[in-house]
Amino acid sequence: MKLVLYSGGDEKDNVHLDKAFIELIGKKNPVVAFIPSSSYLSEQEFKTFVRHYSKFRITRFIHFPIDVPFDRILFQEVMRSDAIHMAGGNTFYFLNSLRKAKLLPELKKFVARGGVLTGLSAGAILMTENIDMAAYPEFDRDENQVNISNLSSLNLVDFLFFPHFKNSARYDKVFKSYTKLHQKVIYACPDGAGLVVNEEELRFIGRCYAFSNGHKFPIN
Amino acid sequence: MFSKAKESINPMNQVKKISDETLKKTYSTFSKLNGEHPFKTQVPEGRVEYQARYRKGGKVAFFNFDVAKEMGLIPKGHPEELNPDLEKEILQTFSLTIINEWDIENKIKIPQEDIYPHTYMATRYLQLQHPDKTGKTSGDGRTIWNGTVRNNGITWDVSSCGTGGTRLSPACNINKKFYQTGDPSISYGCGLSEVGEGLETLFFSEVLGKNGFKTERVLAIIEFDKGISINVRANPNLMRPSHFFSHLKQGNYTSLKQVADYYIQRQIDNKVWAQTTFKTDKEKYTYLAAQVARSFAETAAKFEDEYIFCWLDWDGDNILMDGGIIDYGSIRQFGLFHAEYRFDDVQRFSTTILEQRQKARYIVQCFAQIADFLSTKKKKSLSQFRKHSVIQLFDQHFLDCKHRNLLQKIGFKRAHQDYLLKEHLPLIIKFKKAFSYFERAKSKRGVYKVADGINRDAIFCMRDILRELPQIYLSRAELLSPKEFIEICKSSYAKRSDLKITPVRMKQINRYQTYYMALMDKVIATYGHNKSQFLLEITMRSSVINKYDRVTGDSISYIVEKVQKLRPKLKSEELYHLSQHFSDYQTLDPDQKKKNVEGHPRQKNIMQNLYSIVRECREGL
Repeated sequence: MKLVLYSGGDEKDNVHLDKAFIELIGKKNPVVAFIPSSSYLSEQEFKTFVRHYSKFRITRFIHFPIDVPFDRILFQEVMRSDAIHMAGGNTFYFLNSLRKAKLLPELKKFVARGGVLTGLSAGAILMTENIDMAAYPEFDRDENQVNISNLSSLNLVDFLFFPHFKNSARYDKVFKSYTKLHQKVIYACPDGAGLVVNEEELRFIGRCYAFSNGHKFPIN
Repeated sequence: MFSKAKESINPMNQVKKISDETLKKTYSTFSKLNGEHPFKTQVPEGRVEYQARYRKGGKVAFFNFDVAKEMGLIPKGHPEELNPDLEKEILQTFSLTIINEWDIENKIKIPQEDIYPHTYMATRYLQLQHPDKTGKTSGDGRTIWNGTVRNNGITWDVSSCGTGGTRLSPACNINKKFYQTGDPSISYGCGLSEVGEGLETLFFSEVLGKNGFKTERVLAIIEFDKGISINVRANPNLMRPSHFFSHLKQGNYTSLKQVADYYIQRQIDNKVWAQTTFKTDKEKYTYLAAQVARSFAETAAKFEDEYIFCWLDWDGDNILMDGGIIDYGSIRQFGLFHAEYRFDDVQRFSTTILEQRQKARYIVQCFAQIADFLSTKKKKSLSQFRKHSVIQLFDQHFLDCKHRNLLQKIGFKRAHQDYLLKEHLPLIIKFKKAFSYFERAKSKRGVYKVADGINRDAIFCMRDILRELPQIYLSRAELLSPKEFIEICKSSYAKRSDLKITPVRMKQINRYQTYYMALMDKVIATYGHNKSQFLLEITMRSSVINKYDRVTGDSISYIVEKVQKLRPKLKSEELYHLSQHFSDYQTLDPDQKKKNVEGHPRQKNIMQNLYSIVRECREGL
């Protein structure tokens, strides 16, 4: 299983994560598919994404919005690609669209076949068991604009991921109390930091924090 | 005296009695829109004049800050929100009703202080729905011209629709009597307009304007009880071919010359024309005809390629002199090339998209006749101008525009378009043939009745294949199989029987892909691009140009319905921001910089609704 979980930030912030991503692909000029969280103005996001990864000499990209109907041909091409990137945005809307398009099992198959799956912010939260972290904490959460109650997601890893983390007492308080009630470990990453999963190995890039059983542990 | 009168009748006075000097100065340009207009004096037989009175009970439902800034009505840095002084100024300027013939015949008493000091004109122009057919009785039936303002070297015309029934309305002339404004016994001709019409024009014109169409813009919508409104429009030149054609039909040399000279002067003043001095009248009027030929060739080609249905007809009524869109009542944008759609206007069917070219050509032919008439003072038969040089110019320019539009749709940059047009025209023509084969393919279902006319469905969505093809080539570096090709571009209108892969269709699929790649290869070879990088560039441009969800006429109707339901709670400023966000989202310019469109959560929810509507209707009429 090959995954990269980006928290956020700009290209300068993510130099190390990007390097890890390219190493995971391990192939010259791979095909990378871009899945935006919403098709609204996603052409512009795609452009930004392409400009960024072109610097790694990647020239083959596919733009694949999933909240509009798509045809089988492009879908197959996406599933044959070397890497799929799930962009940031509203996590609830994104999950709802993936579910409606019946893509959750397809993405799991893609990962099982050895494809590299990356996600930024919402896209990274989607790789975990559920998207609880999008609704957490109350002062910094996505709006559940699509009113979904089933928050279960790809469940590719056995931890939860919190992006855009700010190392402050009020976040600590919330995550400590969450992990007192729930068994899962939360990895909270500020922008520029993130996680790389390569088969059984989990690597932390940048300053990350783990919350478990009501405690906080700095990593790196 | 009048300013006093306005003070006493304006509701805003109750909110704020005295506006400060600065604000008075800020909004002083509005006072130029007082009915005075150069056309009145320069073309005396081209208009009828009416006195007007202030119309109470109006509210500013919408004000276009963007257009107002461009016109210099408000300063560039003005906040995009209404304040009591601005609202007062808008109402004083535009909330008016004409005192028409019925009012005079029936001796309706109007307080002197309610009457505006200047008269307002309704212009005469040819309209085919008038029995007379020569333009003696037709023209602005429910519109008056507010005047002109000049800013940054551009003079703008402003007119208002829904300001009362004039003697030029079809109802007056068909029934040989004058009508009271708002007479419920007649609908079209009662002199009023509705908020829905204003909103439809607003949403459509903002989208088309941002996508390079010349169009009228909505400056303001003043709302009254029961959904009645005054819709204020603006454009640097609101003259239509039909303003010329009425005098041409009547053989009225003097008025025709006055209209032509008036129009030419405005184009020169606004620096629209490259040539501004002429040695002879012949040169001047032939140049006018050539300008019309170029504009109408461009417009007719763009209408055809962007699937715009505009009901162009011989009277030159539904279009501006530069090919700009005016009067959105009959405008539609189709999602597919529904080339056999006809609007059913009870007595007759409209033209189709493909017939628009001939109508545009006919309008150009009339201008060749006008140019000759004005140069020789002799009106010759129109048929003598069938092979005039401006007609040849029209035909050639139309084809040039069609070729360029196709290259633009594929995603080529301007410089690459120029190169291909100059060096590889035969290849473009070959690709166009294959492209048109699919674009014009029709459903076996045949012609059938739709809500407001008849249609025969198009079965392929060319935007889809244009958007996906470069991505797939990029990914797998090989051509699509015929089955895959059809799978990508089939529309929701296509039935299984429409999609059979016949030998002819197979040949066309091969041609399409071969010529498409050949065009790419020509640019790649000449400019020394890397093939993958170039296809990637085309992918990115094409994904914007051929966006999945593009607005259609149906979607605009549903959007207006939706917005009207929300309207009681939607403030004027919110409506402005909504129209701006919506038109930004529908701007298909690959070179446009991303705009920050974060809005209030309520606005975001409304926008989500609008996107779904556009998506639902994306292949319709």
